[in-house]
Amino acid sequence: MGRVKIAKKSTFIDMTAMSDVTVLLLTFFMLTSTFLSKEPATVITPPSVSTEKVQETNVVQVLVNPEGKVWLTMNNDTSANWSNEKMRIALLDKVSEIYNESHPKNPVKFTNEQKYTFSKQGAFGVPLAKMGEFLNLINEPEGQTKMDQWLEGDGNPAHPTGIPISWNQNDQTPNEFQMWMKAMRQSDNENLTAAIKDGTGVAIKADQNTSFDIVHLVMDNLQTIHMNKFTLLTALKGAEE
Amino acid sequence: MAEVQQNDSGKGKKGHQKKMQIRVDFTPMVDMNMLLITFFMLCTTMIKSQTLTIALPSNEKVDNVENMSQASEDDAVTIILDAKRKKGSMDVDTVNGKVVPVIYYYFGKPGGKDGLGDFSPATIAERNNLQESKFLANDAKTGRAQGIREIIQQRNKDVLTEVNKLKEKYSNGGFGSLETKEGREKAQAAYDEAASKVRKDENLKKPVIIIKSTPQASFGSLVSVLDEMQINSISKYQIDNMTKADSLLVIDYQNRHHE
Repeated sequence: MGRVKIAKKSTFIDMTAMSDVTVLLLTFFMLTSTFLSKEPATVITPPSVSTEKVQETNVVQVLVNPEGKVWLTMNNDTSANWSNEKMRIALLDKVSEIYNESHPKNPVKFTNEQKYTFSKQGAFGVPLAKMGEFLNLINEPEGQTKMDQWLEGDGNPAHPTGIPISWNQNDQTPNEFQMWMKAMRQSDNENLTAAIKDGTGVAIKADQNTSFDIVHLVMDNLQTIHMNKFTLLTALKGAEE
Repeated sequence: MAEVQQNDSGKGKKGHQKKMQIRVDFTPMVDMNMLLITFFMLCTTMIKSQTLTIALPSNEKVDNVENMSQASEDDAVTIILDAKRKKGSMDVDTVNGKVVPVIYYYFGKPGGKDGLGDFSPATIAERNNLQESKFLANDAKTGRAQGIREIIQQRNKDVLTEVNKLKEKYSNGGFGSLETKEGREKAQAAYDEAASKVRKDENLKKPVIIIKSTPQASFGSLVSVLDEMQINSISKYQIDNMTKADSLLVIDYQNRHHE
């Protein structure tokens, strides 16, 4: 009677294959991911049956929060001649030009350093008169955090957030929101202006519970400066026929 | 794979080499990769949001009234979006912080054929042709349209019958085979073209829908009503501002129905 010999086996599991797989997955996610850009307000877009995909490039997004504050985000076709940074600097130049026409007494002027800071920002939206002070924050310790807090609304009365917007149906006396939109349309980037013209270049992002009054204000402002076609951002709803 | 075994070819020779096994443990590597994957998975936005394209009329005042496109009385359907109000007042009543949408609609002119005349409360109460409806999905069992959708479908019957015929033709392969991906795309394009032709066909009777909204209505209900236009193949619709008559009708309706 010989005892059954149990072969001593090593418990070592070869992880190489596993590692291969995970690296592949990792590469996939790294290449396909687009990061959520930080926005000053979180909104839940209303569900819709529309299946048109949102444009990723050459689009100006108007973010509207339920209180009626408005911020802008601009995404450019980075493969073309106009990088996001270059476009933003051109935009800031253009908008200050338009602003100074109607405010000859206290014009705004930005240094190259401020323009550079602006070009690195995501969403933007402070009154132009405060823009210089806003951009100078970057030189302070934790400047970027302070800037984000300002945009989200830090409760400081000296830090108004959101682009000033008001009922205005006169094309000749634009409010600041209209100035920004005009500056976008007048930009030298032909791809962006073409997109704005055919309506895909302007997207309004608003929460589903925002009252119509507030969305109407934004729409009316766009209508006044003859941007009659634009898109509304929605979330996909299960198709109903 | 992660181990390198050295063959002991030099057995018995001088300078006896030790049997060496080089094993690299990949477990920490896998751990770290998993963490990174989790990070990227959570940060990435896979679902792209959708868009809804709308075109609004210009804000410029039209001097020549004849240039304005007028919907004929038979075709016009006015939909007014509103929010649920608190009993006995005009304040918005919210449920869990959400506005409850309410829809009103009327056919033709406010007040029916005769209009509202002098806007006196008695005339308005007498001629109020406002009706209330709801946003409802199709009935789960019968698949029948309900709420505002049913009303729109009734008005747009001619177009919808034609579109449904095309849909059937599409699913039967009438626009080309649906077997291959290419074929499907081609058939889809042919179907879309035919459907848009039907929607714009001047010979079919179709409604002109005017969407209006009180300031208190939610943005969500505006998108819902625009959705209904798409679902029901409405080709002519527009977003317009409330008129005095519309406001008076809504107020009168609320006074009488929401005690």
